[in-house]
Amino acid sequence: MKPFFIFGLAVISTSLLAQVKPPEPGQLAPGVSTPTTDGKPVGTIKRRVLTPSLKQPTAVINPNSLLKVNVTYQTYNMQIPWQKESAGGRRGLGVVLPGNRVLVTAQMVADATYIELELPEGSQKLAAKVQAVDYEANLALLAPNSATKEKEFFASLQGVQVDGSARIGDSLSVWQSGRVGDLIVTPLRISKVMTQGYVVDNAAFLVYEATGIIRSESNSFTLPVMKSGRLAALLLRYDSKNQVATLLPAPIIQHFLQDVADGKYDGFPSLGIEFQVTQDDQFRAYLGLQPDTPGVYVSKVVQGGSADRAGIKPGDIMMAINGSKIDARGDYQDDLFGAVSASHLIRGKGFVGEQVEILVLRDGQETLLKGQLTRKQPDDYLVPPYLFDKGPKYVLSGGVLFQELTSSYLNSFGREQRGALLRLQRIATNPEELEKDGRKKVVFIGAILPTASTQGYERLSGQIVLEVNGKKITDIADVAAALKTPKNGLHILKLKEFPYLLHLDALRVERDNLQLLNGAFRVSELSRLN
Amino acid sequence: MRKRLLFPLLALVYGAVSPLLLAQGSSDTGQVIDMTSGEWDGIVNIDVSVLFPDYREPWNAGQPSGGSGTGFLIGQNRFLTNAHVVSNATKIVIRTTNDPRPHPARIVHVAHDCDLAIIEAEDGTPFEKTRQLSFGGIPKLNTEVIAVGYPIGGDRISVTRGVVSRIDFRTFSHSGVDQHLAIQVDAAINPGNSGGPVLQAGKVVGVAFQGYSGSVAQNVGYIIPVPVIQRFLKDVEDGQYDHYVDLAVTDFPVENIAQRKALQIGDDGVGVMIADAEPAGSAGSALQRGDVLLAMDGNPVLNNGLIRFEGELMDMNEVVERKFAGDTLKIRLLRDGKTLEKEVKLKRFDPYVRLGSQYNQRPRYLVYAGLVFQPLDRNLVDAHQVRDPVANYIFDNYLNDKIYVERPEPVMLTTVLTDEVNTHLAVYAQSVVDEINGVKIRSLQDVAEALKKQDAKKDFIVVKLIEKGRPLVLKRDLAESAHPRIMQTYGIPEDSYLGNE
Repeated sequence: MKPFFIFGLAVISTSLLAQVKPPEPGQLAPGVSTPTTDGKPVGTIKRRVLTPSLKQPTAVINPNSLLKVNVTYQTYNMQIPWQKESAGGRRGLGVVLPGNRVLVTAQMVADATYIELELPEGSQKLAAKVQAVDYEANLALLAPNSATKEKEFFASLQGVQVDGSARIGDSLSVWQSGRVGDLIVTPLRISKVMTQGYVVDNAAFLVYEATGIIRSESNSFTLPVMKSGRLAALLLRYDSKNQVATLLPAPIIQHFLQDVADGKYDGFPSLGIEFQVTQDDQFRAYLGLQPDTPGVYVSKVVQGGSADRAGIKPGDIMMAINGSKIDARGDYQDDLFGAVSASHLIRGKGFVGEQVEILVLRDGQETLLKGQLTRKQPDDYLVPPYLFDKGPKYVLSGGVLFQELTSSYLNSFGREQRGALLRLQRIATNPEELEKDGRKKVVFIGAILPTASTQGYERLSGQIVLEVNGKKITDIADVAAALKTPKNGLHILKLKEFPYLLHLDALRVERDNLQLLNGAFRVSELSRLN
Repeated sequence: MRKRLLFPLLALVYGAVSPLLLAQGSSDTGQVIDMTSGEWDGIVNIDVSVLFPDYREPWNAGQPSGGSGTGFLIGQNRFLTNAHVVSNATKIVIRTTNDPRPHPARIVHVAHDCDLAIIEAEDGTPFEKTRQLSFGGIPKLNTEVIAVGYPIGGDRISVTRGVVSRIDFRTFSHSGVDQHLAIQVDAAINPGNSGGPVLQAGKVVGVAFQGYSGSVAQNVGYIIPVPVIQRFLKDVEDGQYDHYVDLAVTDFPVENIAQRKALQIGDDGVGVMIADAEPAGSAGSALQRGDVLLAMDGNPVLNNGLIRFEGELMDMNEVVERKFAGDTLKIRLLRDGKTLEKEVKLKRFDPYVRLGSQYNQRPRYLVYAGLVFQPLDRNLVDAHQVRDPVANYIFDNYLNDKIYVERPEPVMLTTVLTDEVNTHLAVYAQSVVDEINGVKIRSLQDVAEALKKQDAKKDFIVVKLIEKGRPLVLKRDLAESAHPRIMQTYGIPEDSYLGNE
């Protein structure tokens, strides 16, 4: 019951994610399918056979649009950043789109080292690559690696169209692939449409919530959800206890594909505000709102975001976006879905670079503000909300491990967050103070390896680094640069927390660095700055 | 409800362990104790009825309970015991081994920061001829001690035996924040031993006060040693207890060669780095970050923060520990390579108190139109099991971020007693208050005054919370008329207790 709502900001998504755990790719991809020994389970049909028995209007079922996707992935160790974790595998389904492209969720391909497509019933395989990926919208588009084999491989497959017309009450069907490539079709019914957090921090988008039973199969990750033979959604997560499926809906998929189509992927824009509902009569009276005045109270404006550029200020009443009126709860009336969070007007319907018109009430005057939609890239955040496909940035000097703070680092500790970790966590949700201070990233001491240079400091970790050798640290590159100029043979670190001040002997640091490269810690590189 | 609740009380205080040790001199090993000799008549059972304050419904009286511990006669009708034995007491009764009569008693002095208290019998005459116990010194390691008291397992006096295992600085769990010298012994120490004497050669060498629960450590009991006891006794000589004083600095050991070179510390092992000095503490103006503390009162401070004092190596704070409010401490320090001599006037560091458990206090609160305001302190955080991340952060970083400078007593909106006037505000319970009607809230008293003030929009009460996006707004006339109704509905007899009555 958080009293505030987020508009293109991080908080909601994290709290919602805590409640319903998204299907973890690694877990939901057992290598062996459940053997169905005694014939066909109910609801299972052979490929290329239509399903007359199903009640929903499944005019066409085209089972030639599914592929198995096998991914080998390897993540970096967030806490020992020069190391990678052991490799793992994910198996899921991909939806074939026209043009020999394959749609999967981004979770499937995160930190992928090898991707292959596999025909459902045969043994034919084809290596593939990621053409475009959006970890916030949780979508990825795969393309075959080899143009020569592509034609033959896709010969028996047919691309599906994406259909964004589904609405509340519509019946959909989930497609799964059985052990021998048999198609399993399960009905679902859309009960709600709303915005909700997806997988990474900082990403809330439109979802369909549908009720129905989804059986657990091998490859049951990235399940396509169809409406009349067209792709209506991908399964985002499934709560088996309540039999509620959360679906990544076609409007978001269409947005993604449209963005990809022009050859340059911009991502989903966000408004960059936090707002508060205005249902409280006394609060409304205080704000000078008439009973029928629409709008929400803007409580926070993210620096450099779309709203900021358009000139929205905290304290404004946001009444409408692009002509769509916003009610006291922050919803607008969508033609298809009814009341939906106004954030969808920006995230789901807008594109980066487009003009946006926002009507606000300020000092009793209605003002129409105009601006251009923008998107904050993960790297534009003081604390990047996620980090995939590349290693965490660090500098290891004399045993002191300097790191740039990311949400992925914080998440690597799981739920147990205390002391220094809690302080770092807070910076991720309240970056304003350090941003104002001119920091681009948060550099902190991740660990201190036992060396001659770090004698007496071994137990320290979690301190934010403010200065090195008198130079202000705004990102990890500053650390690397500042360490080149010791003073009187000493490195001086100024920290934000106890012990506030650390000294290192510059010569010893150089000697220890050489030993670290060849020593027990198997350090391959002393820094990763990109 | 009253008597045999000794264990729950101690369990609450100590996580199920409370030691009592009584030792006799090593020459006494195995000696038969003759209880008719009167030698131990001064060691008494203290039976206490308590009322645990209710920080969730601060207007209520609280939860009655009871417990018992041990005490011993150290002067004319003066019994020494632990503060935690008599904390929150509504009634105290002294019982002795050889006398069937209960003797009603009362607290004379209580020191929660070192867990000691002095109580007296309301009628002292039955104890006029009782033998008083006298104090010894700090016992040596591996010498035998005995603990005497009234622990669980029976009603009559009990003796357990062990040796001195360690002498060290320990956190006293009664307040949870104060650290003093403590002696670890391996004699069995159980709930009820608390406040009892630990003896060596017939002299008191400590007061049994806490232990470890058995899951990790074994045979670990702690006693309050004589220097701490004598400091307490000296402090109360003027009729009141003034609390420990603190230097309120954080030191960082010097082990690193670069650190030594940068701070220009010699290689004689003397000097510890001052990592932080609390601005509101005794040394706030005398010491600063990066200083090197060389000596206190002429005793050299070593690289690891220990000090050579009275011939022994001990924590440097021990020098401050022995002093009293208003005393001065001479310090020698190194700053930018120059040696400086300074004098520090010692005082208590109040922010520590808020971080520790407090006792014998009626909870302070203020209710207005169903909004319940209470000071954010350890007692409150424990009682409300605060989950709000902002409130938890502010409490956890009260010292770290020097929040106490701006807000000596942060105030939390703990509960919203819902009524139609405030129903939209219920979700803001457990928020920390920033301003009310434009007045910055630095203490609960400020809330009372700010509510009477009128902001720019004078028809409204405006409560700004820290990091909560929007102000809470009540129409003043609606709030005023709802207030008595809410007080009656929720059974609140008084709308505030600010602690100044």
